Amino acid sequence: MESCDVLVVGAGFGGPVAARRCAQAGLDTIILERARVPGEKVVSGLVIPFYGFTFGPDFIREGNPPIERPICRVVNRFIRDGEIYATDSTLRVPKPLALGYAAYCRPFCTWLADRAVEAGVELRTSTTAVEPILEKGAVKGVITDRGEEIRCKVLIDAGGTQNRLAIQAGLRRKYLPEALELYMVWDFEMAKEDVDETFGLSMEFFHALPEEGIGAPLGFGSTLYIFTYRESIHPGLGQFLVTRGEIPNLARLLPRYFENFQKKVTRWKRDIAPKVKLRAVTWDVCPIYAGLIPETRNMPVYGDGILIIGDAAGFEASAFGDGVPSAWFSAELAAEVAVEAVRKGDASRDTLREYERKVWEHPYITWIITDWRRWDLRKVLVSRSEAELRRMIRDHWGVGAFRYRYSGRPLLKAAREALRRDPRAPVKWMEMFTRYYHNWEENRCDPLSTS
Amino acid sequence: MEVRTSDRFPGVEWVGDPGDFIKVDESRCDGCANCVRVCLAECFEIKGKKARVRTLAECMECAACWYVCDKEAIVFSWPPGGTGFRTDWG
Ligand SMILES: Cc1cc2nc3c(=O)[nH]c(=O)nc-3n(C[C@H](O)[C@H](O)[C@H](O)COP(=O)(O)OP(=O)(O)OC[C@H]3O[C@@H](n4cnc5c(N)ncnc54)[C@H](O)[C@@H]3O)c2cc1C
Ligand code: SF4
Ligand code: SF4
Repeated sequence: MESCDVLVVGAGFGGPVAARRCAQAGLDTIILERARVPGEKVVSGLVIPFYGFTFGPDFIREGNPPIERPICRVVNRFIRDGEIYATDSTLRVPKPLALGYAAYCRPFCTWLADRAVEAGVELRTSTTAVEPILEKGAVKGVITDRGEEIRCKVLIDAGGTQNRLAIQAGLRRKYLPEALELYMVWDFEMAKEDVDETFGLSMEFFHALPEEGIGAPLGFGSTLYIFTYRESIHPGLGQFLVTRGEIPNLARLLPRYFENFQKKVTRWKRDIAPKVKLRAVTWDVCPIYAGLIPETRNMPVYGDGILIIGDAAGFEASAFGDGVPSAWFSAELAAEVAVEAVRKGDASRDTLREYERKVWEHPYITWIITDWRRWDLRKVLVSRSEAELRRMIRDHWGVGAFRYRYSGRPLLKAAREALRRDPRAPVKWMEMFTRYYHNWEENRCDPLSTS
Repeated sequence: MEVRTSDRFPGVEWVGDPGDFIKVDESRCDGCANCVRVCLAECFEIKGKKARVRTLAECMECAACWYVCDKEAIVFSWPPGGTGFRTDWG
């Protein structure tokens, strides 16, 4: 039997951030990851919004992570009979600023795990935590698939959406299918000059009423996205696991929507298809509504000896592409509380409750998981009104998203707090944007332990 | 360890033998076929009014089947560490 101060389960986006901070505070920290290489079991889009970087962990802001492309513009295309009848490209920022950065999970998670290992964390890959060790209801560690018992003072569950350990510990239940979308994602190779010419530094959303059959009838106005990378593009679309009270035939629908999109939409047929080659097809479940469903939101995010972060805690809203920032934010908060608990020698519920308080004070986590506009987008599909669809999309993925009462308020609150802690924060943010921009231009990032 | 690929899902590899990490508890299954409908890898089939795992050869470990089974008939766990689905393009 082994023991450590903090045991983190999962080296996806959140786990390494939590582990690194614990190790930096001098705690003996281990991460377990069931994949052979961090991130190779994570499927997720991915455009990480800028505020994940500006308000998230210093080491990411100050480092050179493997980003694929800065995204400076969101272009919303409205489709009828396969043709674009309107475009909204109001959401844009000038270079070197970016609305977000596109990335692949495998290199990004490896980069994060490398930083944790540098800080003294022991990373054990190819190791699945199969069940928590429970003593009088308190979590004391885990048993791995090799039969090892690893005991710890605090367990940080960073295991992602399925949150199996938290369920086994009796703290949470599996998410309701109403809260989940299944996303199918395709990855196409495309020459860099073609991506530059066809998309610039933008990503595109395609919106249509359900009769077009190019996206989920119950989703976000039948949205299909194309994320743009350095030498590839990444279309994706999702569908809720429950639609109008029934489980839809996703096995048939998702591939069919994309086939329709490829056959019908002129923008794809004319501007994109001749330049691309299919490289990968993957999918995953995304807990996109988890925070909005009160039953999920009211489930605990901590217990005796355990803190739950990221997707495992239901802090996801990738309708805005926000899962990664909330994994990073919650990882840092959990690590602060874990360090205090180990120092005090008390990881009881009473001590760990502080994590919940911090989470609910965090302007971004609370905004991300409670923004009611995501529900409203469904109404468009009932009213069948194109004008309504366009207004809502503009409020959601257009310039309206930055209105004070939407993301503007949490943004200002987070900025004020960051400034109070460090008056040099704006300088650091600008340095980050500039450095990331140069890294993208020069195709530079830190070397990875596995490339 | 052996690595398999599939023409249907390029860019994905399945490493080693992950075993039967997803099972159906027949005593709970009512044959509703929800698991069949959500699984993009066609891992399930209905035989004799019960679901059964046909193959996990192309399972992407998404757990959609587990979420939609309201009879709690799907017994879901992860494959042993280092085995199962992997990709560089997720
Ligand atoms: C299709 C899709 C698109 C998305 N798009 C975006 C986007 O554009 N922008 C954005 O910010 N977010 C996006 N997200 C959400 C984002 O991917 C997640 O919010 C984020 O990855 C959560 O981080 P996490 O650390 O909580 O979990 P994960 O990153 O999922 O990490 C969990 C890790 O734990 C490991 N693990 C799990 N259980 C065990 C165990 N028992 N033992 C050992 N290891 C274990 C897993 O292998 C994995 O590496 C998207 C998600 C999906 C599915
Ligand atoms: S979803 Fe559950 S109950 Fe329905 S067929 Fe599948 S295993 Fe049986
Ligand atoms: S986990 Fe996903 S891919 Fe695997 S059997 Fe279940 S639904 Fe199919």
